[in-house]
Amino acid sequence: MEALEGLLTGFQIAFSFHGILFVLIGVVVGTLIGMIPGLGPITAIAVMIPVIYGMDPTLALLMMAGVYYGAAYGGAASSILLNAPGVSEAVATTFDGYPMAQQGKAGKALAIAAISSFVGGTVGVILLTFFAPTLAKVAVSFGPPEYFMLMLMGLTAISSLSEGSTIRALISATVGFMFATIGIDAQTGTPRFTFDSPHLTEGIDFLVVALGLFALAEVCSLILNRKERLTDQKNIGSLHLTKKELHEMKGPMGRQSILGFLIGVLPGAGGTIASFLGYLTEKRIAKNSDEFGKGSVKGVAAPETANNGSSTGAFVPLLSLGIPGSGTTAVMLGALIVLGIQPGPMLYQQHPDVFWGVIASMYIGNIFLLILNLPLIPYISKILKIPRPLLISLVIVFCIIGVYGISFNTFDLYLLLGFGVLGYLMRLVSFPAAPFILAFILGGMMEQSLRQSLTISNGSLMIFATRPVALTILILSILSLLFPYFQNRWQKRNRIRQGL
Amino acid sequence: MKKMAGALVLTFVLVFTAACSSSSSGSQESDSGEWKPDKPIEIVAPAGPGGGWDTTARMAAKVFEEEGIIQQDIGVINKPGGGGALGWSYIHSKKSPNSLFVSSPPLLLVPLNGQSQYTYEDFTPIANMIADYGAFAVRKDAKWDNLNELFDDMKKDPSSITVIGASSPGSMDHIQFVKVAKKAGVDIKKIKYVSDQDGGALTALLNGSADVYTTGVAETLEQAKAGKIKVLGVTSEERLDGDVVSTFPTAKEQGIDATFVNWRGFFGPPNMDEAALSYYEKKFKELSDSEAWAEIREKYGWKEMYMDHDEYMEFLSKEKDELQKLIDELSLGK
Amino acid sequence: MGNGADVSHRFHLLYLGWWMKVLKTTNQKIALFLIVLSIVYLILSFRLPPFAYVPVDSDVVPISLGFLLLFLSVLLFFKKDRESEEGQSNRAIPKQEILILVAVLLFILLYIFLLERVGFILVTTCFIFVCSWFLGYKKWVINAVVSVLTPILIYYLFTSFLQIELPQGVLPI
Repeated sequence: MEALEGLLTGFQIAFSFHGILFVLIGVVVGTLIGMIPGLGPITAIAVMIPVIYGMDPTLALLMMAGVYYGAAYGGAASSILLNAPGVSEAVATTFDGYPMAQQGKAGKALAIAAISSFVGGTVGVILLTFFAPTLAKVAVSFGPPEYFMLMLMGLTAISSLSEGSTIRALISATVGFMFATIGIDAQTGTPRFTFDSPHLTEGIDFLVVALGLFALAEVCSLILNRKERLTDQKNIGSLHLTKKELHEMKGPMGRQSILGFLIGVLPGAGGTIASFLGYLTEKRIAKNSDEFGKGSVKGVAAPETANNGSSTGAFVPLLSLGIPGSGTTAVMLGALIVLGIQPGPMLYQQHPDVFWGVIASMYIGNIFLLILNLPLIPYISKILKIPRPLLISLVIVFCIIGVYGISFNTFDLYLLLGFGVLGYLMRLVSFPAAPFILAFILGGMMEQSLRQSLTISNGSLMIFATRPVALTILILSILSLLFPYFQNRWQKRNRIRQGL
Repeated sequence: MKKMAGALVLTFVLVFTAACSSSSSGSQESDSGEWKPDKPIEIVAPAGPGGGWDTTARMAAKVFEEEGIIQQDIGVINKPGGGGALGWSYIHSKKSPNSLFVSSPPLLLVPLNGQSQYTYEDFTPIANMIADYGAFAVRKDAKWDNLNELFDDMKKDPSSITVIGASSPGSMDHIQFVKVAKKAGVDIKKIKYVSDQDGGALTALLNGSADVYTTGVAETLEQAKAGKIKVLGVTSEERLDGDVVSTFPTAKEQGIDATFVNWRGFFGPPNMDEAALSYYEKKFKELSDSEAWAEIREKYGWKEMYMDHDEYMEFLSKEKDELQKLIDELSLGK
Repeated sequence: MGNGADVSHRFHLLYLGWWMKVLKTTNQKIALFLIVLSIVYLILSFRLPPFAYVPVDSDVVPISLGFLLLFLSVLLFFKKDRESEEGQSNRAIPKQEILILVAVLLFILLYIFLLERVGFILVTTCFIFVCSWFLGYKKWVINAVVSVLTPILIYYLFTSFLQIELPQGVLPI
């Protein structure tokens, strides 16, 4: 009951004229920033901090919530339209979002992304409203051994991303993992494969790899097909979803909003793992799993729901423990501090008004994101109507700005170009890029958590068997690996039985 | 085809000519004889947006402009990479008195670890502004109630105690712990240190994966208030002011004569001109004394620690010697 | 292109050169490259300096990865799968198109090279205009308007609103 009262007060402020105005500004600014590859929620929030300095905290929070969700959604837009995932959370959205857009269904894909983001975010906030203090315990239950198992579970996904040849997928992943080992090793301070270049000591940024392998490689293909036009341009901006499509979205949205939220609750895991796992679990359990990767409705809905569920889940450790679980929430923490709000175990007891104010602003940010963005989809989709030659030049420029905007040096731009060429060559010889990027993202964290665990246990592997949560995840990932196999046999047996 | 190639060549020729005739730069002394920047000032944060260096730079620029301390435009530029090394080499190559940067102990530690060719001696320290201190925390139910008990156990069985921090060996979190532990007589080569850069260090402490958390004072505050952790020691000279913080004992008062300051200040390019240096020194003093800056310090929990150029030079050289010894003993230097 | 197959055949000869005769399948060629890569990576891994204070040193994971890649590459070498038709048709690219691709890559290279030297606005304007034209966009008025306005808009959005500096270069702004 107390929860509802607090929320009501929050809503009252939010539904004032000023409240609505600031959410609107936030959503627009966030979406615009998020659509530029390379600029995601982190930059969007960081650049807004000087703006909100000295503002009324409640209004500022409303605006930040708008920025936060807007930026997350904007990232999906560039993934879907241009195959250019600006943040790691949006990589899984390219798998089906981009093929869908290429089939002339960009509006549909964006609508699916908007609706599933909304559902993921809203279910997340509802869970946050009622279970935040309880879930705070879950958030601190993960130590290095559990994280190691979680990353391992993420990597088992490679088998599902293989596009036919398992060995090629494994090679892709191994090379991706190798690139993740470049830089100073956190456990020892040893520079690895840096060739004494200060440009490499912090490792290669995710964005350089993702924009190269996905966006620039696609640009190469577009150049060769520059005279082709999209097959069906008429309905490109139409966001009309059929009943069947809406029905298809239900399952993934229901499951992934909860799964994504739970992963988001774990500090350090975050939206990337949530969106990948979301995509893969749906692919595994789907009857029509062949459609995944070719513009499947579920393939867009799953990662988007999971991502927004998880970005909401990340507020559990932030608000109830003061622990920022991701880069984005770390910057969010900075923004809250500027507003005079110190999140932590005491926030809920000492400043319930603030606590509920934050949560109310998240509900509203989500709603506004949906009602503001749906009408904009037809216009955003028109990007694809830009003549190919011009579009190609613009995509290249955006990739370069995106990378320059985070690294501020040209070394990373040459690397970007290198990964673009690599990505294209990989396409030529049928090596999938998805396992590469997945291993690149998860590999680094996996290695570190493995070695952290072994340092803690003084070298004994038993640490993974004696911790119940770690063991459970291990068993789950083995089961999920075997699941398609059993499903196959089961279906076969059914067919035989029906045949009889 | 020919026409196109012609246009191409023409464009790039134009661009090239433009590139070669670069505009003149630098500053002049104004009529009154006093040096003043004649171009917008850039403050480089050798890291990405959102971190400590970036926040300090942006807040300083904000107060400089809003309070009218400096009339020129001030832009903050992020030059992330190499743990700061890329930002430092950028400033070093610029050599313009309109380019400043913000820095802290990594300016000493990164070169000592062999990861940057430039150290503070290659630049002109202008003024130090603020300080932060390290804190060592354990779980509420841990068996240790002060640093000495902890260090005694570490001397007996170093492999049973895991110390966790956010940065790699040889960098701040690790070194501040090593510095205090060494003074207490612990064999610093046997300390079991784990680094967690993905934000899991505090949770690892809370759930028992690690035993000691070495970090900044601000990071421990909320958990200590809530009674989930206890801070066994902080690395400041005297107890800090403030609610709860004042209950944190210093290492010094526990008989361990060691301190560690996470100082943060501003630097200029190498061999900065005397006139420009004294101009900036004055401006930073004004900034440090302003009310607006005091408010910002309050908000972020930074302590005041102003040092002018001369004091700063002396301080840095002493710090460097001490850190050098620790790094050498751990044989981390390259 | 009536004789597409012919052109692609010629391209294969040109591009793959002499070792085509030695190695029969694409798999073998890639595998050989990967084997070399894994050996280089392994050598570098073995030369990583040791660190005495942790049970699992910084070279363990890289060494494992190196051997894993070596193993997988050997498997690939002996694998005799018929490549999917898609994969083969992917590679059948007319020589002229390859040249266009390479030219665009060179444009990008030049763009990056000049970005900090000349400044964002000028280089980007030139790049968008030239690249679009080169790829066959002949409406030069629209092209010119887009290539001038886009960089200016982005520049001001970034520097004034987002406070992210882009290279100003030689333009006195």
